[in-house]
Amino acid sequence: MTSRSWLILIAILALIVASFATLDLQWSAFGEPDALARMLEFTSAFFPPESSPQFLSRLAIAAGETLAMSTLGTLIAMVLSLLLALPASAPPSRVRMRLLRDATRLCLNALRSIPELVWAALWVIAAGLGPFAGTLALAAHTVGVLGRLFADTLENLPPAPSRALRDNGASPAAVFLYATLPQVLAQLMSYSLYRWENNIRAAAILGVVGAGGLGQMLYYHLSLFQMQESASVVLAMLAIVAAVDALSNLSRRKLTS
Amino acid sequence: MTDSTDSDPPMLRLQGVGKRYGTRWVLRNLDLELRRGELLVLLGESGAGKSTLLNLIAGLEPADEGRIELDGKAVQARDDDTSAALRRRALGFVFQAFHLIPHMSAARNVAIPLMLNGVAPGQALAAAGKMLAAVGLDDRADSLPAQLSGGEQQRVALARALVHAPALLLADEPTGNLDPASADVALRLLATQVREQGAALLMVTHSEHAAAIADRRLRLGSDGLHAA
Repeated sequence: MTSRSWLILIAILALIVASFATLDLQWSAFGEPDALARMLEFTSAFFPPESSPQFLSRLAIAAGETLAMSTLGTLIAMVLSLLLALPASAPPSRVRMRLLRDATRLCLNALRSIPELVWAALWVIAAGLGPFAGTLALAAHTVGVLGRLFADTLENLPPAPSRALRDNGASPAAVFLYATLPQVLAQLMSYSLYRWENNIRAAAILGVVGAGGLGQMLYYHLSLFQMQESASVVLAMLAIVAAVDALSNLSRRKLTS
Repeated sequence: MTDSTDSDPPMLRLQGVGKRYGTRWVLRNLDLELRRGELLVLLGESGAGKSTLLNLIAGLEPADEGRIELDGKAVQARDDDTSAALRRRALGFVFQAFHLIPHMSAARNVAIPLMLNGVAPGQALAAAGKMLAAVGLDDRADSLPAQLSGGEQQRVALARALVHAPALLLADEPTGNLDPASADVALRLLATQVREQGAALLMVTHSEHAAAIADRRLRLGSDGLHAA
């Protein structure tokens, strides 16, 4: 190993040691009989999960809200991302285009740098409590992610088909519809489905800041120490995430095969 | 076939055309006339400005001096929309790398110029089928470009360039990616179809073999155009 590699290794080890020292982790408490007993008591309080018809019907409504938030948030993001990806992928050949491209990319960076939970807290203030704030929060963050992915996809497209249409006198809109979009559609759909998977997981926790859905229900019951109800909410989250993951995986495989 | 005479106005006229990138003049003081039904080949070394000249004629780049007229109308000093409308109506292009749209069948690729000119898709596809038959590919209408050989792809590109009966066909090294046998077929079709439609052809090439189809040959050098 070179002296540079040794230095990097020592720096990483120092960072790990400093992290443990700063966090003041009490490892000994893990193995203590008292702690284990409390953990067992806490876990057993979740069983059996609440399954009364009234509760399950409320759970179904909240699950529907979560599903709707993630779906609508992703759809809004897809449309806005495509619109922003066009200037963000423009060839920087002219000064005006380069400025527009850089400004759009900066905007996309800013949108995705702010996590969904922070967006939700902001939208709850602006739009009030409930799933509308959650939907906007998911859309705002996802535009940042999808916009960048869409722009990179458009940028890496082989230019020949678009060139052929442009040379034949096609308008920019016709070039986009006939040459660009059909070439990238499968890839864009695949990215969008993947983000839908992510958004269903994010939507499940956004309720913690009052943005509706299963997250809000979980926060409510945990606050009241109603563990059996909380367990049902967690199970509903697992089921919905697993179902969307499976559906999205299947669709993406079909699109890219 | 449409015959042309010297008394007909030229299909294409260049007067004192020049183009520069930065301070370097790539083309300077070019004069050229091309008549209907004429096949003109432009030879020249790489970097001589042959492809740039095609771009100027098509209105894809502005000339820095001189005047270019297509069918009596100035190509330059037009806005982008007018320039695009002129290309849609009056020009056909054949490229070295074919530039077919990979997700569209051969027939759909050929139908594009017609659809861009507002022809209904059904009619455009029917006309595309006839044009594909004219280049000997009527049995490959439903094939995707990736399912065709290089020679077949160039014939599809040729059908696409001619389907809307353009007045002027611009070809940039159309046989550059083809083996000699496929190149022969493509050149023969190019010459036949251009003559049958009464169009004019301006072909840029390195290949003396490809240049053999021409009625007139010019060489583009640093000092302008000369008979070759």
